[in-house]
Amino acid sequence: MKSLRNSSRSGTSYRWMVAPALLFAGVMIVFPFGYAVWLSLCEVALGQPPRLNGGANYARLAADPDFWNGLRLTLWLYAISLVAQLVIGTWLGLLLARTRRARGLIRTILVSPFMLPPVVIGMMAIVILDPSFGIANWILAQLGLPPRLWLSDPDTVILTVAAIDTWQWTPFVALIVMGGYLSLPGEVFEAAEVDGARGWQRFRRLTLPLLGPTLVTAAVLRSVDLLRFFDVIYITTQGGPGTASTTLNILAYRRGFEFFDIGYASAIMVTLSALVFGSVLVFARLRRAVTW
Amino acid sequence: MKRRELIGGALSLAAAPAFAQSGGFDWRRQDGQTITLMFNNHPWSQAMRDMAGEFTARTGIRTRIEIFNEEQFRARLTTFMQGRSAELDVFMTLASREGPVFRKAGWYADLAPLLADPALTAPDYEATDFAPSIQGANVFDRQVVAVPINQEGPLFYWRRDVFERLGIPEPRTLEDIPAAAAVIKAREPGIIPWAARGLRTAIPYAFVGFVNNLGGSVATPDGKPGMSQPGSVKAIEMYANLLKEYGPPGALNHTFTQVIELLGAGRVAMVHESSNEFANIMRFPNRANDLGVKILPPGKESGISKPAAIGWGIAISAHSRKQAAAWTFLQWATSKETQAKLVSAGVAPPRASVFKGPAFDAWTAELPIRRAWAEALVQLGREGSGVFQPPTDRIPEAREKIGDAVQQVVLGRATPAEAARMADEELAKLQ
Repeated sequence: MKSLRNSSRSGTSYRWMVAPALLFAGVMIVFPFGYAVWLSLCEVALGQPPRLNGGANYARLAADPDFWNGLRLTLWLYAISLVAQLVIGTWLGLLLARTRRARGLIRTILVSPFMLPPVVIGMMAIVILDPSFGIANWILAQLGLPPRLWLSDPDTVILTVAAIDTWQWTPFVALIVMGGYLSLPGEVFEAAEVDGARGWQRFRRLTLPLLGPTLVTAAVLRSVDLLRFFDVIYITTQGGPGTASTTLNILAYRRGFEFFDIGYASAIMVTLSALVFGSVLVFARLRRAVTW
Repeated sequence: MKRRELIGGALSLAAAPAFAQSGGFDWRRQDGQTITLMFNNHPWSQAMRDMAGEFTARTGIRTRIEIFNEEQFRARLTTFMQGRSAELDVFMTLASREGPVFRKAGWYADLAPLLADPALTAPDYEATDFAPSIQGANVFDRQVVAVPINQEGPLFYWRRDVFERLGIPEPRTLEDIPAAAAVIKAREPGIIPWAARGLRTAIPYAFVGFVNNLGGSVATPDGKPGMSQPGSVKAIEMYANLLKEYGPPGALNHTFTQVIELLGAGRVAMVHESSNEFANIMRFPNRANDLGVKILPPGKESGISKPAAIGWGIAISAHSRKQAAAWTFLQWATSKETQAKLVSAGVAPPRASVFKGPAFDAWTAELPIRRAWAEALVQLGREGSGVFQPPTDRIPEAREKIGDAVQQVVLGRATPAEAARMADEELAKLQ
């Protein structure tokens, strides 16, 4: 088969074949994002064409305590969820990789949480964690523990939301880790065993470094999702109690669709997008550093 | 000219030719068209979906009805309208909330010319039959932006059996409610004494009655934010304390769905919740027999009972290319005949003739609680207020600030006076 390079050497270029992909990216990604950036620089009155107002929306961001609260909550939720999912997911993935029996069945069970639509997850969380009717407090009562407010306590609501997301997405990380672990060269582990590496030492010095690229990939995928985490929070708390779970996504949604402040909401979302891009770039660099 | 005169003028001027015309009205004039309608999830919408076939049979107009929960409904509506989409013809609207913004955006078609057109409006439509307080919210400077589909407001529901068992008299004043709650909490630990909306954006609907009844007001006489007035501060304190001391755990995330669930399941002794949820409450076993319902009791000192009173309406999109067909739907849906049928779905009719008519009368006579509910609605229509916030065009934001003040007190982060002062500062920025 003639390679693209060969074809170009022979004078026939096939570069035009990437045009549909570029067009798709332009229409579906660049244009909407560019439009959001444009809106973020405008004052948007409903029913009127947007009017440029320079960086006024961004200046408002800097002075808005709700924005800083939203940024703090977004980063806090991101950090605890990501760490929990990577740690538990790695443990679960390695456990699964060493399991010989019923691996297919276990894998199917593990897939089910992240196959569920977020609205189902949110409704399940509301029912299970309801302080009056929910089974979570019933279980605590059976164990002789005091009831908790779960989603209604401003001090713990983010932890509860993080726990819901961790429940849903840890199996995803576990499956990635399992796949990564099973693809590692077996002779390295055999050699390590001959040299006397066991247990924690083997995990810390060998397994973890070798799994580095896999874990970074999992972290990138979860980062993008976690930073734009919206649906479950909106369904379970709508950003409350007070503003205790009003992350940047919730704040932007409310400003845009409830208060009709589209320009300002766009500025929040563009800022959040910059955060997402930033985190992906950091992980991309990290991936290069941990590649073996 | 006073606002009420303006409203009456706009409606009667618009409706006059329609009344003048006699003879048959051609309901099939728009035969063959298809219109798209977007509704908030509401007993009225559910009933409309079931009755849409009747409309098509009568007019030949087919309908595409989309129903969403309120938040999704608003988001989708905003997207459609901001995009000037001609795909949407009819939408539900709460003009007392979003009316000023939507009107300023030019999203409402003016219904006044349609009402005035005898070729498009049935002679027996009688637009002046709608309660003026309800239709008033749909008229802005002679522009009729919507027609009313219901009337609603929060009512006080209480468990008569629990009160009788504990020897507590029926609350006659607002101050009797916390006193009754204290007795219930002390003597009947299996039941939650009180439940009401605790979600920030949902609070003002139930809360404004406390403000008015305790002699306060959300605005000062000169139109400035009024949360720091003594009666308003007392209202913040009472509403917050009821939730905090006597409410269900997690009350700050509760809106009508949780409150109704608690009441229906027999877990709570008193609630202040929408008249509109009456039909849903009655679906739970025993509630038709053990509940009492009335308007929120008046404040002891003020003697006033003035809770929130609102009415949803239906509007035609200014971008619709099928406004005549859409208007045919609006007329049919808000006609006396259709509204009389909607009574059995628990939709309180905004038309005086239907409210006083035989169908409604027969329905309410079947159960004492229905009669009590109907009487409470009459009082609500007479005494209620559609004003939940100081004057501003940014109504949703203003309501959130008021809800936030109550939440801050429930969370113990501010005293009622501090929360009121902060709310007034924030509300002033929205004026």
